[in-house]
Amino acid sequence: MYHVPGWDAIEASLDRIESLLARPYGMSGRAVALLLLQGDDEIAGIVGAAEPEALEKIRPIVAEAQARYDDPLPYIIAVRRQEEASRITRAVLSRGAAPRVGFAERLSRIMMNPLTGIPLVLLILYLGLYKFVGGFGAGVLVDLVEDAVFVRRVNPWTAALAERLLPWESARALIAGDYGIVTLGVRYAVAIILPIVATFFIAFAVIEDSGYLPRLAMLIDRLFKAIGLTGRAVIPMVLGLGCDTMATLVTRTLPTVRERLISTILLALAIPCSAQLGVILSLLDGHPLGLWVWVGVMGGVFILVGALSSRVLPGEAPSFYMEIPPLRLPRPANVLIKTYSRVRWYFLEIFPVFILASVVIWAGQMTGLFDRGVALLRHPVRWIGLPDDAAVAFLFGFFRRDYGAAGLFDIKRAGLLTGRQIVVACTTLALFLPCVAQFLITVRERGLRTAVALSAFVFVFSFSVGFLLNKVLVFWAVPL
Amino acid sequence: MRRRFGRRTRQAAPSDGGRRIVIVGSPNVGKSLIFTRLTGAYAVVSNYPGTTVEVFRGWAHVGGERYEVIDTPGMYSLLPVSEEELVARRILLSDRPDAVLHVADAKNLERMLLLTLQLIEARLPVILVLNIIDEAERLGMAIDVPRLERELRAPVCATDATTGRGVDALRGRIEEYVSRARMGRH
Amino acid sequence: MKISERAEEILETLWVRSEEKAEQVGLGVARGNPEVEELVKAGLATVRGDRIALTERGRAEGEKVTRRHRLAERFLSDLLHVKERLVHPVGCRFEHLLVEGIEDNICALLGHPRTCPHGRPIPEGECCRRFREGAGKGVMALAAMEAGQGGRVAYIQTRDRSRLQKIMAMGVLPGMPITLIQTFPSYVFQVGQSQFAVDERLAEGIIVRTAAR
Ligand SMILES: Nc1nc2c(ncn2[C@@H]2O[C@H](COP(=O)(O)OP(=O)(O)O)[C@@H](O)[C@H]2O)c(=O)[nH]1
Ligand SMILES: [Mg+2]
Ligand SMILES: [Zn+2]
Repeated sequence: MYHVPGWDAIEASLDRIESLLARPYGMSGRAVALLLLQGDDEIAGIVGAAEPEALEKIRPIVAEAQARYDDPLPYIIAVRRQEEASRITRAVLSRGAAPRVGFAERLSRIMMNPLTGIPLVLLILYLGLYKFVGGFGAGVLVDLVEDAVFVRRVNPWTAALAERLLPWESARALIAGDYGIVTLGVRYAVAIILPIVATFFIAFAVIEDSGYLPRLAMLIDRLFKAIGLTGRAVIPMVLGLGCDTMATLVTRTLPTVRERLISTILLALAIPCSAQLGVILSLLDGHPLGLWVWVGVMGGVFILVGALSSRVLPGEAPSFYMEIPPLRLPRPANVLIKTYSRVRWYFLEIFPVFILASVVIWAGQMTGLFDRGVALLRHPVRWIGLPDDAAVAFLFGFFRRDYGAAGLFDIKRAGLLTGRQIVVACTTLALFLPCVAQFLITVRERGLRTAVALSAFVFVFSFSVGFLLNKVLVFWAVPL
Repeated sequence: MRRRFGRRTRQAAPSDGGRRIVIVGSPNVGKSLIFTRLTGAYAVVSNYPGTTVEVFRGWAHVGGERYEVIDTPGMYSLLPVSEEELVARRILLSDRPDAVLHVADAKNLERMLLLTLQLIEARLPVILVLNIIDEAERLGMAIDVPRLERELRAPVCATDATTGRGVDALRGRIEEYVSRARMGRH
Repeated sequence: MKISERAEEILETLWVRSEEKAEQVGLGVARGNPEVEELVKAGLATVRGDRIALTERGRAEGEKVTRRHRLAERFLSDLLHVKERLVHPVGCRFEHLLVEGIEDNICALLGHPRTCPHGRPIPEGECCRRFREGAGKGVMALAAMEAGQGGRVAYIQTRDRSRLQKIMAMGVLPGMPITLIQTFPSYVFQVGQSQFAVDERLAEGIIVRTAAR
């Protein structure tokens, strides 16, 4: 149906290239020749290393072949293949009557039409994140595990056991003290983080397996272009709402270094992870206006920082393309196994950090370093209008952001925070340093220099925003 | 000339002496699910393109032999556009597979054949897996598999990885294919 | 003024070498050739020492001859499915039958192709310019189509290699059936049985021969 332009000439070039190649490359000489003709840098590098003289002779053949065509050679070659593929398809494929547009397709159009799609995004966020993760995970489940398991059973048992078995006060503190391995490390990990993260991953797996995410990506592409990303980045961003560390790893699927860097920055700064979200949502429970202020500030920071980094970082604006797979009913077995494997990964990654944090804090207390750290952090904490006690929470935040947020929880319970202070603290902590695991992954994926520079920026930035927010809230006397 | 390359991919044993199956194909065609079906090991399965960032390896028993099975990130063509495609191609070219399963979306045969043709052109030991055959059937499509095998001169199998339909036949084809390749060599 | 067919051939060769490849053309064995004389007499070329060069009119005339030749090749291969090996020699004979006026009709019939079957550019005619300005029917960019409209991919038009490769990765290649589903906030189309979302820039590069509606 479509006649391929000038294939003879290409055949001749291919034969010449092939006859120059003497070494094996794991595929036929013709395939190597085709890749060389299409300007494949990696293959050229491999051939150049194995037989540099051959490559020298091949280069002019490639240049000569390309010079004869207006269209790039990969295009001409693909058109040729397409012709063959179409011929074969016509020979083997028979179609029955085309079925009517089904329910899945109609639903798909509803999701992609901005008029119906945007309200649907909000509904899914509300149900999935606010109700299921926030309400059920961070509310019902956390209360259940924390109260029934830790407060009633594990903590008293551990304390009693430590009392009986450990004669030294300091060793007792390490295991069962205020910041002990069991009372703090294991309790936070199992009673607070686990239920939140598990519910998030369940919700995410359902959304992911339904095929909704690519539709969200196409809806949001225009907005993301403004911050130097494409719709494709929506996947690490949404995953970041579950775990920023995992999401930083997934930025690898973004096509350019620039996009990977911008999304790493946004993940470190403006995307709170589910553990944090859970704690923050319950901190802001009873302050509906505070919740909106918090959402507004986070959204504003996201767009502002994204827009700024896309201006500052060199590079071309990316183009967006994404396959929209059919909507499918998620298979429960797959949802469960995926949730399980992610939660397991998460736990292996963070559990040691929690234990380590307990040990470090314990050692810090023993040596007095901890107190000095708290004293040091008191200044920026006062600066953003918080009580001194909050410094402890920020110090915890160095280990994990959600750890810090969970620290605030205790202060709030003790009735030491006003509405305004809660909002400011939540905002600052949400923006605050990436957790240790995320920092390590950032080092691995983007390099040490980037990771350190990023953390320094985030540290200064979060307190500056906290400072401004506090001033604004005081100035307008916002009733929170 | 061509024969020398072709022979090498089949003949040279993998460095550790074991047998290997590499799974390739465009994103979101069910490669990971086929991997799970063959090995019983889990690789992340999602309904969006670009899920498999990391390479999954597992073990499968086919016809009384043990194979290392490798699940790769999606690739649209042998000429890579993205990082993942580069990763997939490196595995394909360096791991010297005994069989390459090209998993394809059956309802998009025309589009999928572009990669099949390239793999065949590269003289890799390709088996074409027409996965998601259930959706193709629901669209009223029928594929003449024996004719397709003749056209491609490569084995073709239709599967529905969600139910496991056709996977046993696929094992049979792999066994047949690898043993025939071995016979040809001696 | 009408020149002979052989002189036209030489004019074309001269135009390709001097205009497309920007070469200096030596006379060599063609010195004293009657067709060269004919070109010089018609005021299309000048000979200075060992070099032959086209005049202003020669350049314009050479472009037209080249355009006719390549259009003829396109016509033979696209519409008559003449075998590749024969396209060039038959094209050489056929081009002389295309006189001005008919040439543009053929161009339109072929959808104002940009390249000959060998991939070399076809010089634009008046018809192509008019077509580009929007008077054309039959082929248009995906970005200019309306939701629900469909057709077959005619060609891909982009000079950017990475964009081209993305389009090709989606299986968007000449001849594939394509339907536009939605245009905002991104372009969503179906090619074969798969759907893709692309931004405006990619949608501009996909040129579709739309089905008559
Ligand atoms: N209906 C149907 N869906 C399938 C089949 N194989 C895979 N899927 C679905 O296709 C999606 C992509 O599968 P996955 O294995 O992650 O594809 P990969 O990206 O190629 O590894 C998942 O939602 C699977 O459940 C099949 O044979 N039939
Ligand atoms: Mg996969
Ligand atoms: Zn024209």
